[in-house]
Amino acid sequence: MTHVSIQSLTKVYPGAREPALDKLSLEIESGELTAILGPSGCGKTTAMKMIAGLLAPTSGDVTFDGRSVLADKPEHRGVVMVFQNYLLFPYMSVADNIGFGLKMRKAPKPEIERRVADMLELVKLPDLGQRRPSELSGGQQQRVALARALIVQPKVLLLDEPLSNLDAHLRIEMRDLIRSLQQQMGITTIFVTHDQEEAVVLADKVALILDGTMKQFDRPEEFYKRPVDEATARFFGGRNFVQGQLKNGVFESGLGKLAVSEQSTVGNGEGAGTLTFRPENVHLATDHSQPNTLPANLVKQIYLGTQTRLQLSIGSHEIEAICNPNEVEGLINEQEILVTIPADAVWLLPS
Amino acid sequence: MSERLKIFLMLVPALLVIGLLFFGGLFIGLMRSFNYMPVIGLTDPDLSAYLSVFTDREFYLSFLLTFHIAFTSTVISTVIAVGAALLLRRHFLGRAIVNFLFQLNLTIPHLVGAIGILYLFSQSGSFARLAAHWGMIASTSDFPALVFDPYAVGIILQYVWKEVPFIGVIVLANMQTIGEDYESVARSLGATRWQSFRYVLLPLIFPGMLSASVMVFAFTFGAYEIPAILGASFPAALPVLAYRKYTDVDLAARPEAMAMAIVIALLSAVMIYLYLRYSRKRIRG
Repeated sequence: MTHVSIQSLTKVYPGAREPALDKLSLEIESGELTAILGPSGCGKTTAMKMIAGLLAPTSGDVTFDGRSVLADKPEHRGVVMVFQNYLLFPYMSVADNIGFGLKMRKAPKPEIERRVADMLELVKLPDLGQRRPSELSGGQQQRVALARALIVQPKVLLLDEPLSNLDAHLRIEMRDLIRSLQQQMGITTIFVTHDQEEAVVLADKVALILDGTMKQFDRPEEFYKRPVDEATARFFGGRNFVQGQLKNGVFESGLGKLAVSEQSTVGNGEGAGTLTFRPENVHLATDHSQPNTLPANLVKQIYLGTQTRLQLSIGSHEIEAICNPNEVEGLINEQEILVTIPADAVWLLPS
Repeated sequence: MSERLKIFLMLVPALLVIGLLFFGGLFIGLMRSFNYMPVIGLTDPDLSAYLSVFTDREFYLSFLLTFHIAFTSTVISTVIAVGAALLLRRHFLGRAIVNFLFQLNLTIPHLVGAIGILYLFSQSGSFARLAAHWGMIASTSDFPALVFDPYAVGIILQYVWKEVPFIGVIVLANMQTIGEDYESVARSLGATRWQSFRYVLLPLIFPGMLSASVMVFAFTFGAYEIPAILGASFPAALPVLAYRKYTDVDLAARPEAMAMAIVIALLSAVMIYLYLRYSRKRIRG
């Protein structure tokens, strides 16, 4: 179990004007599963390679249990990185691939064979040891890559987009496998992904990187409830942003007057600000019995299968709501309806 | 017309050239090696030319020398080429210029290279004169015999000079296609820099490296001009010996020359087969 501390980690590639990664700082508790989330090209893989020692940072530090590992060679860091495209050695059998790390450590042959067999059992591929990687499906190759990493019992496991090359049904299976293996072995794990759903489902904590800068490092639910800014909220599917004034717990804007709970304004004083609320927290209402119920014009309905997205016009603003398809049955476009936005479901973005 | 037939018909001109010139020549050579040369009245095929080749001591000495030339120059060229490719794939100041210079002698003919070696390394060459001028040796004749010598140093030098960029360009392209991620995986799994080269990069570049070095081996084993210019007269390399027999004033020596050429081709094929088998096993395990 290893505590990982990343302090102001920065990388500027030679000849580049902008840093690929700018002052990334994270504190990762022992045995925690952390996601580094961000769009393609935001510096996620650069961060991983620097933690693994495969790339030297321009500045900053990486410490394991309080000790800087920057001077350690990659093979001595105790960090194993599993790449997005698995990179199984094509000329080796599955068993040889898994046993590679032990062979490099000059472990005795019988021990390698025994531990490879255990690993094959663990990743549920007990009979495929003699196959070549080219004879495996994508999901099986991913399991082999994972087994090859876990067999050396790393202090820190790095996973680069571990699910992005898999079909939808395999993703769920693999997600569960990664989570259960990680918890079983208690390895501090960092994975990078561009998929916010993947990050939320798998990780204990998520670090969101946009344009090379870390925006927020928090528990997954915080990104939905309390995003640090509009870009972060948008990355997590936020659609509704309203400018206005906060006065005595009431937010006055083009929507009208909305009561705002105390915890929705943490870190903000009175005055001008931006209020956000998630589309799924906008509920259809039948009367004004609930506070924060507003009249709205139904502009458009988009059927999404398990949900229906509604575009609504309230006052001078257009907002979005997401409802159960059963709830909106019989509604027609341009119809006047009532919606409620609960006072504790809104969030005033920190100014 | 089916796609397969179309492809076959498009290949016919090339196949005709190979079929007529290569297999035709090989067939005539084979007939003559069996002492079948109606032009000079030899109409009863026999194995006497092969018997004569295999009972000639010079043939064995020539074979050993030729093998030494081909093997040594292939191994040295491959090692240097892989080392150079490892350096050239990195980013450094002036890489484009170094890369250009590295590949420059691909365009220079073997013959020009051989004359260069002669001018530089022979006992009357520039290095011998410089060594004598600076008092490192008493006279130019004290300069070590690197040309026309029994160990074929000059020949090997010429082949290495010419073949390093040839193998290097192929291996470098191979390395650039593979990228560095496989080695990164190996390093993070605990492999040292050397181990990640030995167990990961080398097996990955192996097919390209092998094809290039087999071509070099086959060429150096069967090439005539460089051993003819830079080699000792006894023992001579096999192709030189075969050519001498072929141009012998006695036409009766021609079947022997043909037998020797056929044996060179066969030996070359057998050695390439053994080389492929052995190295595949050694490198890929």
